[in-house]
Amino acid sequence: MQCAESLAVQAAFDGELDAVSAAAAERHAEHCPECRALLEHLERTRTRIRREVDYGRASPELQARIARMLDAEAAAAKRVLGAAARPAWRLRPFWLGTLAGAAAALAASLAVVMLAPLSPAALPDELLAAHVRSLMPGHLTDVVSTDRHTVKPWFAGHADVSPAVADFSAQGYRLVGGRADYLDRQRVAAVVYEHGAHVINVFSFAAGVRPLPAQLSRSGYHLECWHAGDLGYCAVSDAGWEELDGLARLLQDLAAHDTR
Amino acid sequence: MDDKRTRFEALVLPHLDAAQRLARWLCRSPSDADDIVQEAFMRAYRAFDSLRGPDARSWLLAIVRNCHLSALAERRRRAYEPLTEEHQAQPAPHAPAALPDPERASIARDQGRTLARLIAALPEEQREVLLLREVEDMSYREIAAVAQVPIGTVMSRLARARAALKLTWLEAGGEPHAVR
Repeated sequence: MQCAESLAVQAAFDGELDAVSAAAAERHAEHCPECRALLEHLERTRTRIRREVDYGRASPELQARIARMLDAEAAAAKRVLGAAARPAWRLRPFWLGTLAGAAAALAASLAVVMLAPLSPAALPDELLAAHVRSLMPGHLTDVVSTDRHTVKPWFAGHADVSPAVADFSAQGYRLVGGRADYLDRQRVAAVVYEHGAHVINVFSFAAGVRPLPAQLSRSGYHLECWHAGDLGYCAVSDAGWEELDGLARLLQDLAAHDTR
Repeated sequence: MDDKRTRFEALVLPHLDAAQRLARWLCRSPSDADDIVQEAFMRAYRAFDSLRGPDARSWLLAIVRNCHLSALAERRRRAYEPLTEEHQAQPAPHAPAALPDPERASIARDQGRTLARLIAALPEEQREVLLLREVEDMSYREIAAVAQVPIGTVMSRLARARAALKLTWLEAGGEPHAVR
């Protein structure tokens, strides 16, 4: 029932797309009555919320409470230092331990929920959303470099995996940089390539033997995944299948070479 | 030691208003919200050394959210205290849909409060992303960091929140564009 472009139209409205993608979304909305209505609704909602709904500012009382709390914290830190760095929790009543226990149990249960990997069905959506999102201005790369010796080490501190990285300019795939994204409940590494006018994001993440989505197209984007060791790779782009496949094969060869 | 406090006041304290707004949207009772903000600032101060990167606001708001969840869990654990957070909204005398026609005029005069009430009726996970996007003007990535969900989830929650607002507006008989 809902237009497939509605999320892209929303993202354009929220300023999350680069100029080209945003223009495409706007062009689409011109011809799609549903998305045109959506845009009007988004505009109206935003105006009204910003004009009429406000929970205001922190009260002077709250500001004073925060200031007193900071005073107490700073003083406690000094006392702890004075008392030969006695653990801070000893200074507090015993029943706080119970609360901390409950909080820890809650945190643990949340962690279990949040660490469960996404279903294979959800993964393509996550990857496409991450790709689309990366195209907004200033979000494509966290580290800009055509040198794999810069890009690869950067991931060590920013992602949970260390992917295969190389500049394939000679074959038409220019290495642009890298980025850390959060999806599939982990910090994944995204290596960014340019092929002609197309941006290709190559996501890599810990996948084990988990099945990855097969080749698929959605909303004009292609997605191709493969395993290399215990890493999963997914390349996403609006480039053609052959172009995407060309990069996939180069990276597969590279990974095979690296592990031997 | 004082250096830590100075840095904290420069980096984190400017986001007190945003923290207060998020707490207010999440738990609705102003005094509970203030308690949550104070608790969040205490945790933030104690964990300040673990703050990495420039985005202190997302970091602080994620702590506010966690404090809210802990407070909620604590309240649920003490079963004798009823679950208030979904029902004890602002002094809202009637549900808008139940009002007879003549009173619609007074609703229109008080659209701001009506809108706040409709937003308050949204599920918490949707209300939260809506606030962070429309009021705090945060990017999807920042919202994802606060809500601790993937960006795709932020996008779909935002879409659902906005769509639900449209439906509830219609049901409440409101004429959003008639008011300026």
